[in-house]
Amino acid sequence: MPTVVLLDSSLSMTRPVSVEGSEEFQRKNLAVHGLTMLFEHMATNYRLEFTSLVAFSSLWELLVPFSRDYNTLQEALNNLEDYDKTCLEAALQGVSNVVQQEWGTSCPCQVVLVTDGALGIGRGSLRHSLQTVKQRVDDKKFPLPFPFPSKLYVMCIANAEELQATDSMDNLEQLINLNGGEGQIYTMEGPLCLKSVQSMFGKLIDQAYSPFHAVLRCGNLTSDVQVFPRPEPVTIDEEVDPIPKTVQTDLEIVGFIEIGDISSPPVLSRHLVLPIAVSKEGDEIGTGATDDTEEETSTNQMAGKSPNFCVLLHGSLKVEGMVALVQLGPDWFGMLYSQADSKKKSNLMMSLFDPGSEPLPWLGRMSQLGPASDAAENPYGEDDSKSPFPIQPKHKRSYAQNVTVWIKASGLQTDVQKILRNAKKLPEKTQTFYKELNRLRKAALAFGFWELLKSVAELLERECTLLPDSAHPDAAFQLSHAAQQLKLASSGDSKYAAFEQNITPMLTDFSGGGGADRI
Amino acid sequence: MFSVSHKTAFVVDHCPYMAESSRQLIECDMLTKSRSQGVIPLAPVSKSLWTCAIECSMEYCRILFDVYPTWKLVNYIVSDSEVHILNSWKQEDQNTHELMAALAAVGPPNPRQDPECCSVLHGLVAAVESLCKITEYQHESRTTLMDTADRVANRGRIICLTNAKSDTHVRMLEDCVLETIQEQNKRAAGSDRLMPIQQCELVLVHIYPQGEETLVSDRQKKELSSMLSSEVHSVRAGRYLASKLNVLVQQHFDLASTTITNIPMKEEQHANTSANYDVELLHHRDAHMEFIKSGDLHMAGSTSRDSGLKETVTLKWCTPRTNSVELHYCTGAYRISPVDVNSRPSSCLTNFLLNGRSVLLEQPRKSGSKVISHMLSSHGGEIFLHVLNSTRSTLEDPPSISEGCGGRVTDYRITDFGEFMRENRLTPFPDSMIDAAGRTPVERAKSQLERYTRYWPMIISQTTIFNMQAVVPLANLIVKDTLTDEDVLTCQKTVYNLVDMERKSDPLPISTVGSRGKGPKRDEQYRIMWNELETLVKAHVGTSERHQRVLECISACRSKPPEEEERKKRGRKREDKEDKTEKNGKDTEEKGWTTDSERLKGVMEREKDEQSECEIIKDSPDSPEPLNKKPRLATEEQQPPEKSKDDALHSIHPYLQLHASHLDDVIPHLCRHPLQALWSACFCYHCLKDQRTVCANSIYIRNGLITNTSLYSSITVTLLALGSL
Repeated sequence: MPTVVLLDSSLSMTRPVSVEGSEEFQRKNLAVHGLTMLFEHMATNYRLEFTSLVAFSSLWELLVPFSRDYNTLQEALNNLEDYDKTCLEAALQGVSNVVQQEWGTSCPCQVVLVTDGALGIGRGSLRHSLQTVKQRVDDKKFPLPFPFPSKLYVMCIANAEELQATDSMDNLEQLINLNGGEGQIYTMEGPLCLKSVQSMFGKLIDQAYSPFHAVLRCGNLTSDVQVFPRPEPVTIDEEVDPIPKTVQTDLEIVGFIEIGDISSPPVLSRHLVLPIAVSKEGDEIGTGATDDTEEETSTNQMAGKSPNFCVLLHGSLKVEGMVALVQLGPDWFGMLYSQADSKKKSNLMMSLFDPGSEPLPWLGRMSQLGPASDAAENPYGEDDSKSPFPIQPKHKRSYAQNVTVWIKASGLQTDVQKILRNAKKLPEKTQTFYKELNRLRKAALAFGFWELLKSVAELLERECTLLPDSAHPDAAFQLSHAAQQLKLASSGDSKYAAFEQNITPMLTDFSGGGGADRI
Repeated sequence: MFSVSHKTAFVVDHCPYMAESSRQLIECDMLTKSRSQGVIPLAPVSKSLWTCAIECSMEYCRILFDVYPTWKLVNYIVSDSEVHILNSWKQEDQNTHELMAALAAVGPPNPRQDPECCSVLHGLVAAVESLCKITEYQHESRTTLMDTADRVANRGRIICLTNAKSDTHVRMLEDCVLETIQEQNKRAAGSDRLMPIQQCELVLVHIYPQGEETLVSDRQKKELSSMLSSEVHSVRAGRYLASKLNVLVQQHFDLASTTITNIPMKEEQHANTSANYDVELLHHRDAHMEFIKSGDLHMAGSTSRDSGLKETVTLKWCTPRTNSVELHYCTGAYRISPVDVNSRPSSCLTNFLLNGRSVLLEQPRKSGSKVISHMLSSHGGEIFLHVLNSTRSTLEDPPSISEGCGGRVTDYRITDFGEFMRENRLTPFPDSMIDAAGRTPVERAKSQLERYTRYWPMIISQTTIFNMQAVVPLANLIVKDTLTDEDVLTCQKTVYNLVDMERKSDPLPISTVGSRGKGPKRDEQYRIMWNELETLVKAHVGTSERHQRVLECISACRSKPPEEEERKKRGRKREDKEDKTEKNGKDTEEKGWTTDSERLKGVMEREKDEQSECEIIKDSPDSPEPLNKKPRLATEEQQPPEKSKDDALHSIHPYLQLHASHLDDVIPHLCRHPLQALWSACFCYHCLKDQRTVCANSIYIRNGLITNTSLYSSITVTLLALGSL
């Protein structure tokens, strides 16, 4: 889940903060201090997060494009300049563009807006933007809600009382509401100082950037893992079941399935599953990327040398071309598999299915998947030539069952022609002739299209008169028999017009060798 | 979940006036035109208003059932002087075949029926009553929610296909529906099987013959009350009606259209040429979500179609095709229904997909790189449009697994775990399949994984027994939930085979990693092996009495140094338990043995022994040969088959001698050997000759992989095939 830090660099951010001590701080300094803390946290505990830095005043500027290089981000933060007035709408539009260009519209993003809560005056102020939000034409729409799933965190370098004194708090709350309620406003408690800014950003880190640690289990084989990006709670049905579902910290493998059988299933999200070493003190050591300090490197090497279940699982999944089905919670499953990136590196990846008892129609109900060895007969065959998947639905879809549709005249004409074509090749085509005839008869009866039955009967009678002398004598019998049966059906007489009934070939003296077996 | 589209009631007018011709003529005598002269072509046929209404409503249902095989239900009602309800809300009634059969039984309207007693009103009243009836899904939801059952909503839609007299007539129909809803809601409030209607959408479609002026005007959706909204469509019969209902089914069920373009197809006439065709598919509109959100709908090749009523997104057939073993990052999969299901291009495409092939689809772009955004693929006879992620991934450039924890370890039992995964593959069980303990299949799968992993060393150098082909039969059986007597016998045979190997001092694949010199002596190797085997079997001893018997067999047969025997006796006195003479009192010693094994391995692998609290047994490589090496058989009656097995063992144990001056000369022989897939080893000649332990000059070959290749450039090696049984 990439992060955009949107930092207010308007002049009001340079307002001094009264501190008892000797040094005088600007609000900007506090903002930078808080963000430094956030970046440091991410660099150590959340280092795969892509973060970009956007500064704004009346204009906005992308200072650092999405990056995992927190040194660059920090550097840009330290060299921040001061500009003119706050104009949030343009900046939010900028964020929207930056994110869409990089990640499209389906990737969830977090936007961290850092401001002093002075939201501008006159045109371009947030107040003005919000007042006119309903009067926009299509191409000048307010940027919220963002077209991508998002969380908007507003970090106010101000305390709540200050914001409530003006309409700033109301405006910011309105902003969160515009984003579908996705987000939160943080304010500083007590005097504006380094300590209170730390505690505010600490809350943000706990809320949005705490790493997700879990235990991956396959029976008695286990591994401590970090799941990145952390899986967010999911609400399936707002109406009937509005409680959001969260991924449990015990990821339990229930069994294995071939990649061909699971066959590119739709997933909610994808996550890296990184083995972590939990040291005795209880804090974890890095997740694999190179470390700076010598001490950490040696611990990492130690961790690298002790066997880890994730590595074994990954290796075998990759070699065998299989996935592991993993339970994420009650009625919620996902899959683990080996994912290779372009650089020949590969990794253990987890994808989450939609919560529910049957996320993939071709696997059936998840709770009904059991060990293949319990089946009376090996469902995969003795030589691995079979598979119990995919599950066949009870009814075939229309495109798989030769339905009759006469909405276009051509559909009807094709069906009539098929009958005539086969009529000319009687008695060899007796079977197909009657099959097509019965298909047409069924549809005509269902659609109440008796006129068609009469017409086709006439066509067949005429075909009978046009038969060449060389024709097989059976042909004439079958044609007149079929014509007569159609006419009877077109009368609507329940004796002849029953839907499930079929016209069967006439048994003639010639039919023995003519292939005119009963259908 | 229970939106308006959960329930759709079709009400089709079956009154005499519906028998009137639509006046759309269809020529069905096409073939004769080009043929013999003198034949008078038959008069064209024409569908009645009824036929038009039926086939268009069936098409609506066909698309609906293709895209939503469950949850979206249709109740089909025909109305004349009485009401004919053709099906119910039950899921099993939701298919066009059943409806067609029921329609055939109703037949076309009878033009001679008294028009006075016929009305579509009967049907509308029945539709409202039907909407009050609870569906299986609503029932299930209410049952599971219990206290909050009132969250389950009851909404529905009535689509009425009729021929109305005038706008006043239409208003009369609307009023009737509104009144009926109010009446029925009162009734429903007091019933368990009925639910009051919270919201109902009435869609009145007035059908009139071609060439006539309509007597009814179109009207947009209008709220008649808080519960009822109504809209009126006045449509000419024939293809206008068909396209109207096609638009309606898309609106009602959030469908969107995708046209697959550039489909290469062989020409019917000229088999060697191919032309490109287009096929239009309907599916849930979420498959276009990325286009809709990014405002790219037009850029993505969307075009307004001839009717001017709907839009379709064009996607290009893309070669090369994809294979099924590739796991695409797919963010959604939606069932499709072809718009023109019987046309040749449609059926070619659907048959191609139903045969198990998949097609990637590409967004047509004027310039720039190719963006593959979708994939068509069938699963179990159903075709799905998969949405593929086409934007940058946030997970790019992750640290490789080899850089993380456990990444430097190189001897994982990858192949063995692969085998383990195959044994633990899943399969669907019927809904009723719950075992005696009331466990669902998925719970059984978990408990099987638990059993199979009770003792499962992750790396080759941590295990001896799993590197021995001879142990495989026992290792495969012991993890099972239940053993047959035959299984126990197989396990015992495995044990006897090991005993025999020990008697002959066959070398074992003990890891020499980290050990200086030649590693442990042969007898120690066997002790390590026996200890490990006991650890494995002990992990399962609680499963059943038969599992216990396997452990008893091992304890009886395995070799033990003399001091162990003495300790055993003391232990037995201490335990003071009933004991079979054959058992040799293994129980008390088990802990000690495990510790012993751990300690020995610890020496070899320089790993710390975690179970140091257990008493340490004085045992050194210099300890004398165990006296008691003869296998003791657990029971008398099992002896005869064992003997014959023993003999067989001697006869097939093949020693293949190879003389090679160079490693390269050895390998081809190994590969040609019929046992190459099994665990084989090349031992240094000198090691083999004086029956010593395997030295570092030996090479191990397992599944064709050489794990130790430091070999003198010129030695004589002997190929020994182990575990040939």
